[in-house]
Amino acid sequence: MYQRIENVTFIIAFAFYVVSALLFLIQISKLSKRVEKVGVLTTLAGLVLHTVAMAARTIGAGRLPFSNQYEFALSFAWGIVLSFLILFALYRFGAIGAFVLPLAILVMGYASMQNKTVRPLMPALQSIWLTFHVGTAILSYGSFALACAISVIYLIDSKRTSEHKILAEPEVSDILSYRVVVFGFMMLTIVIISGAIWAQKAWSRYWAWDPKETWSLITWIIYAIYLHMRLRKNWRGKHAAWFSIIGFVSVIFTFVGVNILLPSIHSYVN
Amino acid sequence: MNRRTPKIIRFASSLKVAIVLLILIAAYIVIGTLLPQHGDPSLYLERYPRAGSLIIALSLDKAYSSLIFRVLMALFSLNLTLCTVISMKGQVKQLDKGFFPSFQSEEFVIEDVEREKLLAYCNRRRYTIADDGTVIKAGTYRFGVLGATITHIGILVLFIGAVIGSRSASDETVNLLPGNQHRFEKQGFTITLDDFHMTFQESGAVQQYISTLTITDDDGTTTSEALWVNKPLHHKGLGFYQANFGWASNLQIADDSGAVVAGGLMRSGYSYFYQPSHLTIYLYNYYPEMGIGHQDQPVKMSEREIDPYYAVILYEFGEPVGSYIVAPGDHIHYKDLHIYFTHSVAYTGLLVRKDLSYPIVLTSFIIMLIGLFISFYLYPRFISYEGGKVVTSSRRNGWVFHQNVKSALANKD
Repeated sequence: MYQRIENVTFIIAFAFYVVSALLFLIQISKLSKRVEKVGVLTTLAGLVLHTVAMAARTIGAGRLPFSNQYEFALSFAWGIVLSFLILFALYRFGAIGAFVLPLAILVMGYASMQNKTVRPLMPALQSIWLTFHVGTAILSYGSFALACAISVIYLIDSKRTSEHKILAEPEVSDILSYRVVVFGFMMLTIVIISGAIWAQKAWSRYWAWDPKETWSLITWIIYAIYLHMRLRKNWRGKHAAWFSIIGFVSVIFTFVGVNILLPSIHSYVN
Repeated sequence: MNRRTPKIIRFASSLKVAIVLLILIAAYIVIGTLLPQHGDPSLYLERYPRAGSLIIALSLDKAYSSLIFRVLMALFSLNLTLCTVISMKGQVKQLDKGFFPSFQSEEFVIEDVEREKLLAYCNRRRYTIADDGTVIKAGTYRFGVLGATITHIGILVLFIGAVIGSRSASDETVNLLPGNQHRFEKQGFTITLDDFHMTFQESGAVQQYISTLTITDDDGTTTSEALWVNKPLHHKGLGFYQANFGWASNLQIADDSGAVVAGGLMRSGYSYFYQPSHLTIYLYNYYPEMGIGHQDQPVKMSEREIDPYYAVILYEFGEPVGSYIVAPGDHIHYKDLHIYFTHSVAYTGLLVRKDLSYPIVLTSFIIMLIGLFISFYLYPRFISYEGGKVVTSSRRNGWVFHQNVKSALANKD
């Protein structure tokens, strides 16, 4: 029964996100300004259903949906949408949805291509650190996706005249992207540290140069360079936006590419 | 940075050098993830005919322990140390309550603010205020200027831990059957495996591997404790980790009269050589629950002992003379011998590791997190006021800070 609830709510949430993305696209095309409110409401409805899908999975599996590629993609998309709605609640920039929701839709599409079978946790995954490690990864990856979307907006706006800009002030999107990267970077640091502590408990080594952890470190280095250049060399605008996008490409490779291309002790996520 | 600082030190501590080193380190470790590590040189020469010799010359076949990687890390550590020490002097100055930035920005200005309202705001937010009657200067979270330094110190402590770990850590694998003992001479204690068992999921997959050990110290003190994956056991500086397991099968060789002439426990993949007949008994595998896979090959369905079988190959004078799938107790008749397995026992594989660096690394994690949090969320904030004009200043997050002050001052309360 739980699987059915999960499947149905997953599909409806997906549909809501598609509708929301279209509404936000209409908004930024200046066809109608009134659709923003509806777009946010449909996104919220999608997130509620998405949460129900995750709850059904949690009840059905007897654990949080954090242990394989499907479950992480499901949670990752949830993190992206949640980050967007939190940002909207703080700053009321709905137009960002036109760029961030397609990312969530892509991640959900990727999730739908994965094996959905509920499998019991293997011994190495039976740890309280799983929740903490993957939970913070969802927040971190979700934030980086949001920062990437805002950076894309900045790059588009930087080529437009003021009346055609998506966000009225490009500086604002630049600053927002930075703020979101800062949060994602904090979370990524916690992801790496919690993974190291967990690895020490499970495998006796806090660091083993496994491809997944190495690529997480590479992502961390990319964002660390971004933050240093911004804070010490006053990097703003296009440079910062491109770096934020490159950082998110590294996030995606760490999430998908490493699993597909590189043998890893994290292979159980498949 | 002080102009009196030698040029070479300024260069070595510069952000430019740090970024170049970080990019080199990242590039080096990326290659490390793409190439198989610790392979034989011939592997790289065969698999990468064009780049094989370059891979070996740059030690990319052992990227994370190579001299190049260590030099890069040492240079980065030096850069970080110099940068931290040099910038600390200026940061300590900024902790002084009399320090205020120049407030030159035209960007973050709020006009027409009532003096009393600003003072009330600053007091509410616990700013330290310098008021000469005309100009008000206020600041808070001054200690936030140390955030980056604390983070850098955390990273340096992490590097120290990693170096100590790579120099001093050691590990060994200990395989034990129930009842077996292992002595740790240097630490002065002995472990005895009281029990090893697996618990199973409904699907047959292993849920957990559990070893119960009794530790007997040289002074006679004994403690008994179970360990499993994710729950290691620590004693006198050694960590015991559930790392492996296997099956030991009891082989018996009997003559025609039924008298056992040889035997003992053997592991799958191992051979027993019976000298009088020049017979080698090779236990190819033990199947606790056997199934038949593709091409009618036996496959292990699970580790549950539901329907056990042994796959055995016999060799005489080195030549194969027969292969068999037998259940426990089933005899293989070969000439005047009866070969059979009575039962199998699961043994535990414990990884015993000594690593004094972990507490240092754990400390570094805490320092780093505190540093990052201070750096990004408790950053210094300054306000100046003169003639109804407020200027806000914050290096970390100027726009958001300005918006917060603006909205707070716009509030009628």
